[in-house]
Amino acid sequence: MQKKIVDFTNLLRKSGVRVSVAESLDAFAALDELSLDDRELFKDALRATMVKRSDDIPTYDRLFDLYWSGFHDALREQLGQATGGLPDHVDLDQLLEALRQMLENMDVDLSDLAKAMLSMDPNQLEQMIRDAADETGIERIQNLLQIGFFSRRMIEQMGLEGAGGDLRELIDQLREAGMGEEELEQLGRLMQAVQDAVRRSVRQFVEQELDKQNHDYLERFRRESLQEKSFYNLTEEDIRRMRELVARLAQKLKNVITIRRKRQRKGKFDLKGTMRRNMAHGGIPFELIFKQRKKERPKLIILCDVSSSVANVSRFMLQFVHSLQEAFTKIRSFVFVAELGEVTQVMRDNDIYQGIDQSLDGGGVVNVYTRSNFGFAFHVFWRDFLSAVDSRTTVVIIGDARNNYNDPRAWCLREIHRKAKNVVWINPEAPGAWGFGDSVMDRYLPYCDVAEECRNLKQLSRMVDRLLL
Amino acid sequence: MFDSVEDVEKKLHDQDYICGKNIATVVYLATKLQKPILIEGPAGVGKTELGRAVSRALGLPLIRLQCYEGLDESKALYEWEYSKQLLYTQMLRDKIEQVIGDAATLKDAAARIGEQDDVFFSERFIVPRPLLRGILSEERVALLIDEVDKSDPEFEAFLLEVLSDYTVSIPEIGTMEAKHIPLVFLTSNDSREMTDALKRRCLHLYIDFPGEEQELAIVNLKVDGIQQRLAEDIVKLIQSIRKLDLKKAPSISETLDWARALMVLNADTLEAPLVEETLNIILKYEGDIHKAQMELSKLLQEKGAESPGPEAEAGEKPAATGTPPRKSVLH
Ligand SMILES: Nc1ncnc2c1ncn2[C@@H]1O[C@H](COP(=O)(O)OP(=O)(O)O)[C@@H](O)[C@H]1O
Ligand SMILES: [Mg+2]
Repeated sequence: MQKKIVDFTNLLRKSGVRVSVAESLDAFAALDELSLDDRELFKDALRATMVKRSDDIPTYDRLFDLYWSGFHDALREQLGQATGGLPDHVDLDQLLEALRQMLENMDVDLSDLAKAMLSMDPNQLEQMIRDAADETGIERIQNLLQIGFFSRRMIEQMGLEGAGGDLRELIDQLREAGMGEEELEQLGRLMQAVQDAVRRSVRQFVEQELDKQNHDYLERFRRESLQEKSFYNLTEEDIRRMRELVARLAQKLKNVITIRRKRQRKGKFDLKGTMRRNMAHGGIPFELIFKQRKKERPKLIILCDVSSSVANVSRFMLQFVHSLQEAFTKIRSFVFVAELGEVTQVMRDNDIYQGIDQSLDGGGVVNVYTRSNFGFAFHVFWRDFLSAVDSRTTVVIIGDARNNYNDPRAWCLREIHRKAKNVVWINPEAPGAWGFGDSVMDRYLPYCDVAEECRNLKQLSRMVDRLLL
Repeated sequence: MFDSVEDVEKKLHDQDYICGKNIATVVYLATKLQKPILIEGPAGVGKTELGRAVSRALGLPLIRLQCYEGLDESKALYEWEYSKQLLYTQMLRDKIEQVIGDAATLKDAAARIGEQDDVFFSERFIVPRPLLRGILSEERVALLIDEVDKSDPEFEAFLLEVLSDYTVSIPEIGTMEAKHIPLVFLTSNDSREMTDALKRRCLHLYIDFPGEEQELAIVNLKVDGIQQRLAEDIVKLIQSIRKLDLKKAPSISETLDWARALMVLNADTLEAPLVEETLNIILKYEGDIHKAQMELSKLLQEKGAESPGPEAEAGEKPAATGTPPRKSVLH
């Protein structure tokens, strides 16, 4: 049992669930306090001691079922089928009882496997199969073509052929000892069926093992690669998973901000304030006053290009800044393709993901089915919203600056830049492409305090971190 | 102490707390292994109440520490009672002058006062806050550290220290050790993720919204005299509303508020106009209310056509055989 738990813990770790040594010791301690017959209880106890992030619960549930219930039940079922194959009139218990009595008076030499098969003990058989699996290094299995190979190796390792021989010999001995022909025949059939059951179970075991390995692999691969996957080709599934990732990254940033801000908050001792406050006590300083330093949080205005080529960058940027609302004094969000419109209200009235979906769809304020025209969009912003920009405002623009050969109207951005604290441009294209073809990035660059390529989540989250400084 | 997982379930039920095996298992383990439980889950699913119910069930005094942004050691653990110290120095001025006596220099005088330090930095001048009270208590207590996610990360680090050995050291006095390890509950609404270090110290319990059967039991328990059918209707509707994609799903406390409100309005089954008028009790956002209304009219269209029979009498128990005709939303 201990070993099984250790294996299971390793499996969890491989799938990205962090389990410390102390926690696996807790798991052992917990199991000491409970009866293990109740599978649900067992599952809850392991979870409470080892899995502490709610995000990991689905992974845990999947792996638990794969690891704990799957094989044992399958083995029982196989054995059940083996005995079910006997003719109806045969009483299995009677047959086994007769066998036990005969064996008591005989001197037979059976291998452990043969004994386990005779008694059809699923626990013992399971243990033997697991041991054989370890011996053959089953964790190296990688693909379907190896199932046959590993199954054969395990069956050899267990000595199934030898045990079969033992059992046939036993039947001969039983015949000599006077067991009836009919019973002998039934026993022979039963043992053959049990042998087949073990064989099939081994194969099932190997198949499950392959599932497990694939599961680890996929899980790890997904987690690692998602951060560096290009925004240009995301599947629906990628988007869903990235959403979770962004939520987690945002959470991390949030923790960092609180610490940063906390450091600032601790003000210095304020002598004058203290004296003034304590005048009434004859100058005896009953109350101490500290200077409260004013923290300056930036105001944020974010202009998102929502044309299809850039929509995903905008999507995750919106998620980032809106998950980090507390870090800013105020956030106003705008979307554009050619027209530009404000979606601050859309974001406020909806749950964050719906808000984003609606905004990407134009938020009911702009038509997204046109060709990009940055110049026009900036012009609209300059005309209608410039008053919102002041010296504490950071303006963030997300877009590829591919202007379809329209007039870039760079002077609009110049005016915005003049009033703002900072202009930050996030471009999913590499700097090498800026200014080529219909990209007018070079025309806007003089008015950006920061302009960076953000092709994937890793770059984007670094960028967000800089915004918060 | 609890004897078994079933015993936990039963004793909590005696304290009007309904829980399934999963909650009971973790509570049982926490008492056996003497580990804190970190309870996470959406607001209003009974996290705080679980701490309370367990403390009642075990007869342990409850000490609660409500966390908030900016909570620090001086509010959670102890604080020097500065003004009392000052008051003493004022009142003991004569004595102090004696101590200083004929000291030649200022430095000398300060040194003499320094020798008397421990008069002023002793337990007499300490204001114990919840954590210290929990640790120093003569009897075992339940310590409820509520909404720990609202505190700052530094506070969490400090909490971790206290929870790892249940001692508190006050530099001027020394180290104080707990006489009894308290039974600790930490609750979190998940507004930020707790650090791994803290989680490693704790058993973890995730409480989700309850299933239908369980919620019905809670309503019956907490809303005195509610009609069985009304309770069933309410719970069914709440459960299906939670399945919608909402900004904020209704919690158990909102279910209870709603049930009580409908009782006051003398409803005995749920009917569409009544539901629509009172939706704002369970849903806080315009958008959510709108979605729930759409869902409601869908349910009505599906069910409404079926059985527009006469209204069942108030107080009638559902018959064992056959379903009585109903004009309620859900049946
Ligand atoms: N399992 C339960 N049994 C009985 N009452 C419950 C249960 N869960 C929640 N409640 C009730 O719901 C309300 C909200 O619970 P509370 O503990 O304050 O939620 P949380 O701390 O999770 O936000 C309380 O009035 C509580 O009595
Ligand atoms: Mg609470």
